Parts: sequence; C-alpha cells; structure tokens
Amino acid sequence: MSDAFEAKILAFLCNWCAYAGADLAGVSRFQYPSSLRVIRTMCSGRVDPLYVIEGLKSGYDQVAVFG
Amino acid sequence: MKMVETLLDICGIGRRRMALRWVSAAEGQLFADTVKELTKSTQELGPFDAQEHRLQLAAIEGALKSPRIRWLTGMDRHLTERGNVYNEKIDLETFQKMEREVAEDEYQKALLLEALREGPLSVREMAARTGLPVYTVSLKLNDLERRGLADLKGFEGSTPKFIRLAA
Repeated sequence: MSDAFEAKILAFLCNWCAYAGADLAGVSRFQYPSSLRVIRTMCSGRVDPLYVIEGLKSGYDQVAVFG
Repeated sequence: MKMVETLLDICGIGRRRMALRWVSAAEGQLFADTVKELTKSTQELGPFDAQEHRLQLAAIEGALKSPRIRWLTGMDRHLTERGNVYNEKIDLETFQKMEREVAEDEYQKALLLEALREGPLSVREMAARTGLPVYTVSLKLNDLERRGLADLKGFEGSTPKFIRLAA
C-alpha cells in the first residue's frame, strides 16, 4: 500500500437518476475524484440497509447511496 | 437509511461513514461536485478499520434484521401524519425518540449476542468486550434469557457464565 491514504467509497447508483447523472458528468468531462466504486441498481429504493453495512465490512471507507 | 445512520451513531462508528444523496439524470455537475465533497469528507475521516469494528458491524446487521426495527422503519410519516388505527397521531419528536430507544435496545442486544459467539462469557467479560456498562449488560441479558436467546451455562468458581442459544 502507498503511504498516502486514498479514500475508497462504495456507491450505489440509481439507473434512472444518478447513474445517468454520472454518465452526463463523464460525457461533459467534469473532473471528479476517482475514489468511487460504482454499483448500478435499478432503483436506489432497492438498496437494503444491510448492503451499507456489508460495504463497510468489506473495507470501504464510506458507503454512499445516490438516488 | 435513517435507521442505519442512527445505528452507526449509537455504535460509535458515526453516520459520516454513509451518505444518501439525490442527483438527477440532468445534474452531471452536481454529481461531480457531490463526489468531490464526499471524497473530501471521507479523506478527513481517515481509513475505516473494518476489523476493529467487526463486533459493532455484526451487531448493526443483527439489529437491522430484528422484527421491531423492520416494522418501525419508514413508519414515521404514516404515524405522524396519518395516525395509527386508533386515529392517534404521534408528533415527530416522540416518534424519533421512540425510534432511537428501540434502535439502542436492539443494537445492544445484538451486540451481546455477537460477543457470546466467542463462547461462554460472564457479565463482566461481556461488558469489557462490548464497552457497555455492567448494569446495561445485566438488563439486556435478562431480556435475552426471557426470549430464549441466551442462557446460563454454568459457574466458573462463583462467576456465572452465559451462552448464546441456537441461531
């Protein structure tokens, strides 16, 4: 591991909202950090609270849900 | 998700380890800004040690699976705006207070059950492992015994040792 700490964030993205938003951010070439690991879900409402805990258990520094 | 935030606060990990944000398909800039903001705040928090919080995370899972929490989650608007079957409306503050109490109770019980996975423990050992006060351990253990989830295993000298039952 390198000495500098780089935050790792697990993100659940709603297919219809945030995922498209992220796509747009990419297409428009908006710069944003590479700390996000994305999981696309068909709706952010189907993200069980247990997934958040599972994410933290797996070693992510933060778990984010984007709707 | 509010319940997860509450539970993260209760166990000492803190709600800043999770985030719930709204970004529409048209808001590319907002998405980029949000990612920047979250990365910055997580960077400030530092790395998360999952191993160190193993017991707490397992307890949160246990609490989230408990019927009481599953029934209560998402009932805030129903109970504060529409009322229950007796047509009684509860104000939001009372509801949140109760929600917090239930979350704390279920979390502490789940935490004890997780600690007991390691084998028979005395009340003092459970308190040391979970960081809960001895009195709280004693109270919750009593509850677990009544529900048939934990039981007295035997005595080590004059110290009673307890075990987890089934599941």
